[in-house]
Amino acid sequence: MITTPEFINALAANAAPVRRVRPMARAWIWIIIAALVLLLLAISQGPRPDLVERLREPVFGIGLGASLLTGILAAVAASFMSLPDRSRLWSLLPAPSLVLWLSTIGYGCIVNWVGLVPGAVTLGEIARCFATLLLTSVPLSVALLFLLRHGALVRPYEVALGGSLAVAAITAAALTLFHNLDATVMVMIWNLGVAALIVTLAGTFGRKILRAMAPRVLPG
Amino acid sequence: MDPLGPQGRAHARADGRELDWSILMARAQSGDRGAYHRLLEEIAPYLRALAARRRVDAADIEDFVQDILLAVHAIRHTYDPARPFGPWLVTIANCRITDGLRRRTRRMARELPFDREHETFAEPQANFSEADSNARALMEEVEKLPPGQRFAVRLLKLEERSLKEAAAVSGRSIGALKVASHRALRTLKRVLTRRGHET
Repeated sequence: MITTPEFINALAANAAPVRRVRPMARAWIWIIIAALVLLLLAISQGPRPDLVERLREPVFGIGLGASLLTGILAAVAASFMSLPDRSRLWSLLPAPSLVLWLSTIGYGCIVNWVGLVPGAVTLGEIARCFATLLLTSVPLSVALLFLLRHGALVRPYEVALGGSLAVAAITAAALTLFHNLDATVMVMIWNLGVAALIVTLAGTFGRKILRAMAPRVLPG
Repeated sequence: MDPLGPQGRAHARADGRELDWSILMARAQSGDRGAYHRLLEEIAPYLRALAARRRVDAADIEDFVQDILLAVHAIRHTYDPARPFGPWLVTIANCRITDGLRRRTRRMARELPFDREHETFAEPQANFSEADSNARALMEEVEKLPPGQRFAVRLLKLEERSLKEAAAVSGRSIGALKVASHRALRTLKRVLTRRGHET
């Protein structure tokens, strides 16, 4: 077996200069990427026709704003959580906006239930929703994994979960912005369902994927 | 009279040491290999103590220390010199130790220890003398290899590290390690076959 002094010699001989991680800068990079993805989707798909009208409704506006804010705050939290010496309490940063986002959906269920109109849910619309889901979540997940890959060695589970909440919230906002999700059950499926799916996938596979992408990481 | 007292002195010593480590890491991040070497040498005993406190087997402690040192090396860019060094190091160490202990527990659940009852013959000589002499001959020949090939064989074959990990330790590319290891094995095969024919 290689002795620890030999090991230290090898590591020291291999110590190239490194650029320090700035967590806020990494979070900003991701937020800019998210904004670009939403902009590209707006150009290619166009916003939903009644967007301006719907934004006048407080519950809709607050819900959309809260989901965007949850995405931004979750990205900031995951970025800080990926550093070994930062508190785990960073994970609570997106909690208030998450609660607000979920309450607007809950409020819609209780106060203003909009039933499904027969023929409103077509296969074409579902396929377009799936396209938006993939076009938003895949690039944002890859970008976040790349930016936070150093978190694999210390808190892979927490970083993967925080990151997935960021991706889920922005994806839900994209679906709300670009698709006519008027029926309450559709809002629930495409917001809560998508968020639950992405967070569950991250909880199951995020740790392994993060490890695979980690810089010069140890075998797991 | 000492205004600090024994506890105060211990704290002051620990604070001073942590400040030194913080300065050494800041210099290491800018590529000062001497400072990095000193830092790793100074933290190694501390990591050994941490591993021992977590009830790591004495025989495995050096493995754990090297695992933590490699993690420190891989993510040294996440340290901010404006913040204390201790919590950064301890978090990495604790995460790696927990991970290592979990891996070992999983492996132990799948493997059985090789007991004396598994030996073919009761006399230890009957089982191990040949293996010992073969191992000695192999180690002698490994020591005669050129340094690059020797290091590759040690890391990849004797310690069974992955290519990625060996590349991180040696600072050489995966391709270079594969070539060195291939050449070393070819040389060893040739030399040991010749030795076998001579005896």
